[in-house]
Amino acid sequence: MNAYDYWSIFQGSFTTVGVSLAGVLVGLPLGLCLALLRWAQMPVSRQIAYLYVSIIRSCPAVTLVMLIYFGSPQIGVSLSPLVAAMITMAVTASAFSSEIWRSSLLAFDRQQYDAALAFGMPRFTRVWRIVLPQIWRSSLPGLINETTMLIKSSPAIAVIGMVEITRAAQRVGARTYDPLPPLMVGLALYVVIIFALVRLQRRLELSGNRLEPIQ
Amino acid sequence: MSYDDFILVWQQYPKILEAFGNTLMLIVISGSVSMMLGIFLTPMLMSRRKAISLSVSVYCESMRCMPFLLFVYMIYFGLPSAGIQLSNWTTGIVALILYNAAYMAIFLRGAWQDIPKETIEAGRAYGFYGFKLFRRVIMPLMLMRAIPMVGNQWVQIVKDSAFLGIIAVTELTAAMNSIQSTNFIPFASFLSAVLLYWLISLVIELVTSLFTRYAQVRRT
Amino acid sequence: MTPPENAEQTSSTSRASRVLQLQGISKSFADNEVLKDISLNVDRGQVLCLIGPSGCGKSTLLRCINWLETPDAGRVILNGQRFGVHKSGAKMRDGDLARMRSRVAMVFQHFALWPHLSVIDNIMASPLHVQHRDRQEVREEAIALLEKVGLADKAEMFPSSLSGGQKQRVGIARALAMKPELLLFDEPTSALDPMLVGEVLGVIRDLADEGATMVIVTHEMEFARQVASQVIFMSDGHIAEAGPPEEFFAAPKSDKAKQFLARFHQHLKARSAPAVER
Repeated sequence: MNAYDYWSIFQGSFTTVGVSLAGVLVGLPLGLCLALLRWAQMPVSRQIAYLYVSIIRSCPAVTLVMLIYFGSPQIGVSLSPLVAAMITMAVTASAFSSEIWRSSLLAFDRQQYDAALAFGMPRFTRVWRIVLPQIWRSSLPGLINETTMLIKSSPAIAVIGMVEITRAAQRVGARTYDPLPPLMVGLALYVVIIFALVRLQRRLELSGNRLEPIQ
Repeated sequence: MSYDDFILVWQQYPKILEAFGNTLMLIVISGSVSMMLGIFLTPMLMSRRKAISLSVSVYCESMRCMPFLLFVYMIYFGLPSAGIQLSNWTTGIVALILYNAAYMAIFLRGAWQDIPKETIEAGRAYGFYGFKLFRRVIMPLMLMRAIPMVGNQWVQIVKDSAFLGIIAVTELTAAMNSIQSTNFIPFASFLSAVLLYWLISLVIELVTSLFTRYAQVRRT
Repeated sequence: MTPPENAEQTSSTSRASRVLQLQGISKSFADNEVLKDISLNVDRGQVLCLIGPSGCGKSTLLRCINWLETPDAGRVILNGQRFGVHKSGAKMRDGDLARMRSRVAMVFQHFALWPHLSVIDNIMASPLHVQHRDRQEVREEAIALLEKVGLADKAEMFPSSLSGGQKQRVGIARALAMKPELLLFDEPTSALDPMLVGEVLGVIRDLADEGATMVIVTHEMEFARQVASQVIFMSDGHIAEAGPPEEFFAAPKSDKAKQFLARFHQHLKARSAPAVER
């Protein structure tokens, strides 16, 4: 393996992190909306949200990415592989995170919400200032865990031509007829990314705790 | 895209059925074997002998750090350099088993540690020890606590099975891909696949809830 | 009874009826010395009640008897056989230890029933799988024991559907099914609602009347006064006072015992003591 090989595998990590990050940034808020829809017990949208979450959570990443990429032209939209990959990640992240948000919401003390209601707080403010800060803290470990799983499902985007870490490593191996070293480099990169996520979780947990003066 | 597309897809039902059957077989075999392997590994994780617990722990943690496809490539492309050449089917099953057994072992260990200490201590006080203690006291309680996590892991296996299409295993997604590419009906094909996967996971959920009901009255 | 002896019995008749001997038991957890050179004896048919303030080490002492805690020093001798160590001095391995443990049955403060087994399976588990007795015989005995503790109709139910008092009675039946040489009770009623304490104490009292050899750690002073043949009061890890209940409760000798009983009598005035059901 020469320097260029290392570099091409490392380049794959930009794709992996970039696509996953885009997925998380869009998917997590989306998942929150889905969870709120079900928590607020809005009639029809609740069932649709449930169905959506149930189907996506059982759907393999490979199948989903192919559905979105190959299927979208049929409904009139032409997507680049990059956009299709990001949409897939966002859809996956939204479904998984909605479950995490939902269990935090269910554990949330409804009394606080009712108190805010009694004080005449408008709905958006209620959610934003009362509910969100608290469920954020309890959701954090689960969300980080789901992000880790998202990263681990990211090799699926290779089937539509995106060169992420695993595909890059496999290509180097196919070229050099020595498959194991590039795969180990790829593994090392994943380990670094996942460790970084865990560190991020700890940092976020600590900063959250500092904001809580009274237990 | 119209209903005709779906009809076209399902006209290929022999192919779909065969691929669906393959996927089911992959899931059932690897799910049950990885569960048994997980049950076997968990006491090793809890072992007081550092050599054993450390090595099993390293194995489990490394599986948790890597994507499934990377692990598949290591076995499929990497092992031949050590002289072991596995077919794509064998690679698929071995990878699914080894990968998921690690996850099973980790949360089974968590379930074990959740068992109230007094319950296990009573087992010791009444003369149970070693394998007998594990089999009669620890294992049933550990498994019942872990039912939702085991069910979840089975769903994970369903999803990981789709990666095997990349190494040319004729599972469901790969079959649907070949159908859609020859008939230009991608949306209907893949949507059918998504719904079939959904069906499998609903069955898993049903079985999980049956087991949960069984375990309900047998909990602490 | 005279203060505990340290030498082994020489008289053969006394040796035959000496079920339990503790000699010089000491135990520390980290820097904390929990038991300091404890020695005591229990003869067949005797009921020994261990009482004392929280943290005095009585539960730890009980758990040393069946080697759930390993003493740092001292011997536990069950009917002439040493617990945990072979005659040669070698440490007992799991199998031998388990065999010795099956001769002593313990009743736990938090019941410690096996939740995945039905009531009758809980009772039959150890006789079947540890003592390897005949299934039919064990089952008949289990049913008889359930009748004895008044729970015959609950045989196929699971512990999760029982009340605390019922669980503890199952725990006692489970202990008796082992046909033990010695019964150990670790604060059997401490985790129970006051309403349910009486039903359990009644069962234990019946066992005492039938001549079972028991060591009971308890906070129930009135019960101890009625049931014990010997009371040992522990404080700070050693035996502060020992004697028959009539002597101890009526006229305690040591200051610590006096303090303890005074507090207990005050506490009695604050609430009425549970009636021991006959």
